[in-house]
This record gives sequence, structure tokens and C-alpha cells, in this order.
Amino acid sequence: MTKKRIQAVLKQVVCIFLCLIVLAPFYMVLINSFKDKAESARMSLALPTKWMFSNYLEVIEKGNLVQGFTNSVTYAGISTFIGVITCAMAAFVICRNRTKINNFLYYFFICGLFFPVNYVTLVRVLTFFHLNNTRTGIIITFTSAMVPFCVFTIRNFVLSLPVELDEAAVIDGAGPLNLFFKIIIPMLKPTLVTCFILQFMGVWSDFMTPLYLSSKSSMFPMTMAVYQFSGKNKSYWNYIFADIILTCIPVIIVYLLGQKYIVGGMTSGAVKE
Amino acid sequence: MKKKLISAVLCAAMAASMVIPAAAEEATADFAGEELSILVSAGWMDNRYDDTIARFEETYDVTVDLQTIPADQYSDLLQSRLATDSCSDIFWIQSDPFAIASQIVDPEKYCIDFTDEEWVSVMPETRIPACSYDGKVYGLQIWHNSPEYVMVYNKTLFEELNLEVPTTYEELKSVCEAIAAEGITPWFMPGADGWQHQLAFFQIGGVYAAAEEGLYDKLNNNEATFAGNETMLTVLEQFKELSDLGYFGEDWIGTDSTNMVNEFGDRNCAMALANSSYIKQIQEETGTTDEFGLFLEPLADNSYFPTNAAGPTMFGYAGTEHPELVKEFFKFVCTTESLQEILDNSPSYTNLDVTDENLEQHWLPEEEEFMATITDEQKQYGVLQTSTKYTNDYWMQFGQDMVAYCTEQMDAETVLENMDINRATAAGVVGDSAWE
Amino acid sequence: MNKKKIYPWWFLVIPLVLYVCFFLFPSLLGVFYSFTDWNSRTMGGKVSFVGLKNYIEIFTSNTDYASGIFNTLKFTVISNILKLIPALLLAIMLQEGIRGKNIYRTILYLPSILPFMIIGLTFRSILNYNNGMLNAVLDALHLGFLKQKWLSDLNVVWKSIYGVDAWRGIGYVMTIFLAGLNTIPQTYYEAAKIDGAGFWQRVRHITLPMLSGSIMINLVFGLTYGLKVFDIVYVLTNGGPGHATEVITTYSYQLYSSGQYGLSTALNTILLIITAIVGVLVVKVMSRQEVQQ
Repeated sequence: MTKKRIQAVLKQVVCIFLCLIVLAPFYMVLINSFKDKAESARMSLALPTKWMFSNYLEVIEKGNLVQGFTNSVTYAGISTFIGVITCAMAAFVICRNRTKINNFLYYFFICGLFFPVNYVTLVRVLTFFHLNNTRTGIIITFTSAMVPFCVFTIRNFVLSLPVELDEAAVIDGAGPLNLFFKIIIPMLKPTLVTCFILQFMGVWSDFMTPLYLSSKSSMFPMTMAVYQFSGKNKSYWNYIFADIILTCIPVIIVYLLGQKYIVGGMTSGAVKE
Repeated sequence: MKKKLISAVLCAAMAASMVIPAAAEEATADFAGEELSILVSAGWMDNRYDDTIARFEETYDVTVDLQTIPADQYSDLLQSRLATDSCSDIFWIQSDPFAIASQIVDPEKYCIDFTDEEWVSVMPETRIPACSYDGKVYGLQIWHNSPEYVMVYNKTLFEELNLEVPTTYEELKSVCEAIAAEGITPWFMPGADGWQHQLAFFQIGGVYAAAEEGLYDKLNNNEATFAGNETMLTVLEQFKELSDLGYFGEDWIGTDSTNMVNEFGDRNCAMALANSSYIKQIQEETGTTDEFGLFLEPLADNSYFPTNAAGPTMFGYAGTEHPELVKEFFKFVCTTESLQEILDNSPSYTNLDVTDENLEQHWLPEEEEFMATITDEQKQYGVLQTSTKYTNDYWMQFGQDMVAYCTEQMDAETVLENMDINRATAAGVVGDSAWE
Repeated sequence: MNKKKIYPWWFLVIPLVLYVCFFLFPSLLGVFYSFTDWNSRTMGGKVSFVGLKNYIEIFTSNTDYASGIFNTLKFTVISNILKLIPALLLAIMLQEGIRGKNIYRTILYLPSILPFMIIGLTFRSILNYNNGMLNAVLDALHLGFLKQKWLSDLNVVWKSIYGVDAWRGIGYVMTIFLAGLNTIPQTYYEAAKIDGAGFWQRVRHITLPMLSGSIMINLVFGLTYGLKVFDIVYVLTNGGPGHATEVITTYSYQLYSSGQYGLSTALNTILLIITAIVGVLVVKVMSRQEVQQ
């Protein structure tokens, strides 16, 4: 019993230590976001001599954050949702029906993991489809780029689902759509949520794609705003830090919401029996 | 607030009626509802143009879409926009006499020809080469004429230590020694920024040009090289010596300029290459009571002023849907009222280099004092990076090579050779006949 | 059971069409440019085919691309070891049950949501020799002898990059492991416990085999990330000091920004080939194990 206790304490010590290492830079960003310009440039860990809560209001206004936030939520939310669901469908079929062509498609998709993006040619293709300079174009581009990641990840988790599930469902008279959405999706929830979180975050922090695919500032994402405050000769670190905090909050919320599903402890054991 | 707004509107109305003749006023109505887009890198317009843009929107009943792009991404993005025929109505580049050829490549195709516009005369003669190509004017360069990247130093500290402003390398070294003895970094060198430390080499172009007659022309005609240039070699060696002696601080390669203002304010450093307006910034942001001054960078005993008629420059995109509106915008920016507004809204600039005599400049006393000591003879040579072709394009690489030299990964001769190789490559890309 | 009917082909259509049209095709078109004289002058107009000229230039150039390739490979191996093993241990520890595990999970994931630009900014400040946080902490702990010029000493700079990369990446890797751990039925562990299996035995005989899917995912992502590494190096050292931390992508970025697009895409294509070979090999080897179990 005491050995267990020591272990538990040891684990806590390790975790707390790691968390401190992780949090120290965040603390630095947070605390410096409340300082004035010159004080924040010191990037010290000391408390601000004067708390400048107004930095945040200033950033929201000057950085046009409300608009940026709406754009980012639209891009990340829609593209990731479509991407994860459709890729789950594809991964499901690829994994379960291993014909030659499906096996080939699996590797064909995986190849996408290795290709670098080329924005110039991408713009040309989008222009051909009359999608350049549109929100739809940006969303489609994001969804397309996450296909390799999602198909690859989800396929490996579909493997762990017993085929007997499908058979039972078919015997009960379920069609493919019913089978997928009523049986498979609930079973894959932790995986899909994990995928959603990782890809949502990826889209959220990618400002290059919207930058190249739109020529209107009204379509810029939230992460672009930070550049309003940094110039070659003069950078407003306090604003930059406040902006970072504001940009991170939505992703943290998504993670916290999603965590319930990833961590909730799956009941998959019950199914196996 | 309201009052300010009303007066602004009134001013705008007045300005509109004064500056724009009746014929143009008719045109004003035609633009109603249109959108003018501007593509610019972070740091070139900042918030200085905000009021002017707001007034322009009001006067013409249009909207202006200002797209501020991260500096790292800007030139790639601009290239992509030009190549895919989707550029904004107005775009900017960091221009010098050779930049249009290497960055816009085909100004005939991409730029609106402004040669016959009246506002061109607002720019002084010295700025015209950076705005034109093949005898045609394409750009508008409104930039300040302050001493850029000369030595800013803590005058009070120098006086306390009984130090004189150094004019030769040896004097600089002994000044540094005295300052270092006090536990203060003599010369703050933000090497981690990647773009600042090479200024020490390039800003003293005069010293290279004076040492060899016609050097710039020779470099531009591929008749001279960086490699083998004794003066350049000397400067690199002196730079490394200062680095080895610790006069740039203990870890200049790993230090960026983030905290430079406080380093000056806290007296952790005594000198740095900076713009004259930096003095104002130090004093305002740190509240120090020390006084600051300017002097010429003394590497290789340099005594030449860094003349540099280069700066961010605005161009009209030839593929725009409303060229007339673009022209109006340029015209609008060049009115005295707009210029004054732009200057007054730029805390870091004390003047604008324009011919408009009605403009009220805000020169700093330190600037005026310093400029009074500079003769025309000292101003005759431009800085190295914008007086020679293709050099500026390899700014970052040269900086990396300098650090490689200071950390013993490369010798000085190779640093210079690499610049020659790179310049030859760039010349090859644009098909420069001198390099064929 | 009619496989064609319950696993219909049209489930594949949307991702396939999107992927081919808006990802693969433009990327392949990019590869095509590596065989042309594409540069800032020909960008808007017509490019012409130059065969393998760009590739030959890379292998004969005086720029030290070989060291860039070597650095990239070194980074890939070391950074993955430094991330995968701690992340796996952490994930197991957090899954095993520990008070406050939800909070720990969230905190450990936090670094991977930060944009690279900010990571560069904060860590350049933290790692500064004179007034950086790290050296200050070492001083306070009387460990002054450990102080380093973290980003400018040639012998230390890579270690700093690995450190920051692990700081950022462990939470991400851990999240994928956690998703995998969740698919392992608790009953397995309970049965093993009844049989008297210790912690390490349970890890070896249940966790690792059952986790092979997640391990493969992390390995493939880790390898591709490592080979394509750019941002972390760019924001921390930009290949410096001098050229000490240059990788393939920093070179190709330099080429791109000086207008030599064809050469830059050729370098990227070489990288693509290396990555694809390594990636497909890993997937093949790991998939074979999958069948055996």
C-alpha cells in the first residue's frame, strides 16, 4: 500500500514538474500582455508595475479580431467537420473492403502526407474552378489538405473495431448509411474527436493558405492580426502577447470540450464481449 | 471625439474643394461604392495612413481594403499575386534604383505609368531613380530623410567617462574598451534578428567607393567583385575583432532587438546602429534622463554619411479594374494636407523627404545638430546595398555568412565570394548582359 | 455478406475528388516546375523545359546542400526519439489513472496550439544568455556552471532546438497515443492483473501490441514532420549561427525568396522522394505486423 502511495506521489511530482516547464512560457506571455510597451519588451516574469487591461480592448479593435475570429471559426469548423466525416467514410470502406483498388487508394492517399504545398499552382487551379478569392475555396482547400492525415489516422482506428458489428447490423437490415452513422460513428467517436481537435488546430494556426487564396482583408483569419503589431523597427509586444492569448483561447475551449469524448474512458470493452 | 470628427470632415471637405478642381469633383461621384485594395508589408504603412485613407473613403465614397502582410511572406506573396494576375489595385515594394527590375521584373506589364502625373514633382530628384524604370515613373516614394542606421550613442555616459566621439577604428576600439571596463556593452548588436548586424558592413558604402574610383559602376558592370576588395576585407576583420573582444555583448549572435530600448534606458549598452528617431523612442519609452547623440560609423575609419534614397514605394497595378480611382488615390496622398497628416501620425519619423514647402517638419534637435556637421562631400556616396545591383537581394544570406565568419565556420574571403556568386545568379535570372 | 453493398464505393468519392483536384494535382504541377527554368522573370509568362538542369545544379553547387540533408536526417531521428518515448510513457501514466489527469492532459497539450512565430519569439528571449529566463533559473538554483549560449554556441544550438521541439510536440504525440489507449478494453488489463502481471509486463504484452496503430501513426507523422521540418528552425535560428542549423527546407526557402523557384522546387522534390520512401516503408513494415497479430 505504501509503495503505491509513493508511486502516486512520484507521479504527481513528475506531472507537476512537467506542467511547470510547459506553463512557464505561457505565464510569460500572459503576464507580459498586461504591461505597457517598454516593460513588456523585457519579457520578464515580474508582475506588471501597472496592469494594462486596456491592451486587450485595443487589440480586439485594432486587430479587427471579431471579424478574424468569425473567419477562423468558419474555416476551421466547417472544413474540419466535413473533412473528418467524409474521410471517416472513406477510411471505413478502405479498411473493410480490401480490394486491390482500395489498397491502392490507401497508399495513394498516404502519399499526400509527403507532398509540399505549392500555392502558386493551387491559386491557378482554384481560379480555373472560379473558387479563388472565395470562402468556399479556402474551406475546400483546407478540407482537401487534411484528407491524407484523416484517412490514414481513422483507418488505423477502424481496424480495432470488430467486423462482427457490421455483420450484426446488416442482418438487422441496416443499409450502409445506417451502419456507418448509427453504429460506426459512435464507436469511433474518440478517434474522430481527436482527429477533429488536431486538424482544427492545424487550420486555426495556418494563416498562409487564406493569405494566398484571398485578396480581401475581410477574409483574413484571426492569426493574421498579430502582424498588425509587429514591424521591423517597432513592435508592440504587449499587444502581440494579448493577441496570442486571445487567439489561443478558442483552441483551448475546443480541446476542453473534446477531451470529454477522448478521455471519457471508452466502453469498448462491453462491445467486445 | 465628436468635435474631432466634425473638424476632420470639415477639413476634408475644404481640402477636397481646394485641391481637386471642379472637373475631378464630378469624377468623385463616379467612384461611389467601389473598393480600392492595397497590398502592403507590415511596417511600411503602419497606422500612419489611417486618417488619410479614412478621408479618402469619405471624399470619394469608396472603401479601402488595406491588406497588411507579414514581412516574411510579403515578397513571395506579391510575386504570386502578380503571376496569377490577381494583384491588389495598389501594391508596395521596398524600392531602390535596381529593385523595380529585380522585384517587379516587368513594370510595363504590371504597373500604371505615372510619368505625366503632376504629383511626381512632390518627390525630390534623388528619389526618382527608385521609382522609375526605363525613363518612366511608376512609383511614389514618401519616406523620411533622417539619418538612417548611424551610430546612436549615450552622450551623457560618454561625458561621464570623458570619452570623445570616435572617428577612426582605433578610437572606436579604445572607446569600447573604456565602456566595457564599466561593465556596459559598448555596441549593442542584435544578431538574432538576422537583418541588423550586416548594416555595419553595408551602411559605410562611401568608404568602399572612395577607396576605389568608380567601384559602384564596376560592380554594376561585372568589372569588379566583392572578393579581393581590401577595404571590405578590413571591415569584416574589424567587425570580427570587436565581436571577439566582446564589445557587441557576450552573446550578440543570440540576442535580438526586442529589448534594445530598455538596454539603452538601463545603461546596459552605450551605442548601436539605429535611426535618429530611435532617440525619441528611448527617451519616451524608458523615461531616461540621459541625452543621446549621433555619429558616423567609424569602421575602416569611415567618414561618409549613409546616403540612401530608398524606401517602401507605392505602385498602381496595371490590371486594376478602376485605374482612375488608383490615380486619384496617389494624387490624394500627395496633397499637403495628406502629407502633413501622414507625418504627424508617424511617431517614429521626424520628417518626410518631399519638395512640398508648406509641410511642417519635426526635425529633432539631435538630428539637426548632427546634420549640420555633415558636408555635401560626405554625402556623395550611396550605401553599398542600394547602389549596386542584386546586392540587397542577398541581404540575409550575407548576414548569415558574417555570423559564420565570426564563429569560425567560414573565412572572410569566402563571405565576399559568396556574395559575388549570388549576385551572378541573380544577374543570370534577369538576363543581365554584363554577366553573360 | 455483400461487401460491395455494405461498403459502397461512393463513400470514397468526396475525399478522393477533393484530394486529387485541390491537393495532389497542384502539388504535382509544382513538381513539374522543378524541370523548368521557372524563376521570378518567367513567373508571369512562359516557362521552358530544362530537363534535369536544376537537379544537377543542386548536386554540383558550392552551397553545402549535403550538410542540410544530413542535418535534416539527424533532426528527424533525434527529435522523434525525444518525443515518442516520453509521450508514450506520459500517455500510459495519465491513462492508468492519476488525480487531476484531465488538467495535466490539457496543460501538456497547450504548447502545440501556439503559432511558431510566438514559440520563436518567447524562446529566443528565454534562451538569451544575459537576461534569459533559463540562465536566470540556473543561476538561482546555483547551477551556474550549466549556463550556455543556448542559441549561438555551435555545440549547444541543436540541443536547444531539440528541446524546444520536444516542448512543443510531446502533447500532440501524447494525444494520439491517448486515443489509441482508449480503444484497449479495460477487461484485458483486469484479466492480466488477476493473472498477476506487473506494470511492465502489462505494457509489453497488452499496451504496446494493441497500440501498434497509434505507434504507426505517430511514427509516420513524426518522420514526415522531421524530414519536412522548417518552422521550428526558421523561428529559432533561421539556419544559424552562420549555417550550423541549415536544413533542406531552409535552403529551399532561401532559393525561393531569391526568385529561383525552379531550383527551389527541385530541392523540395528531392525531399519529397526521401520522405515518401521512408514513409511508405514504415507503413508497409508496420502493416505487416498488423496482420500477424
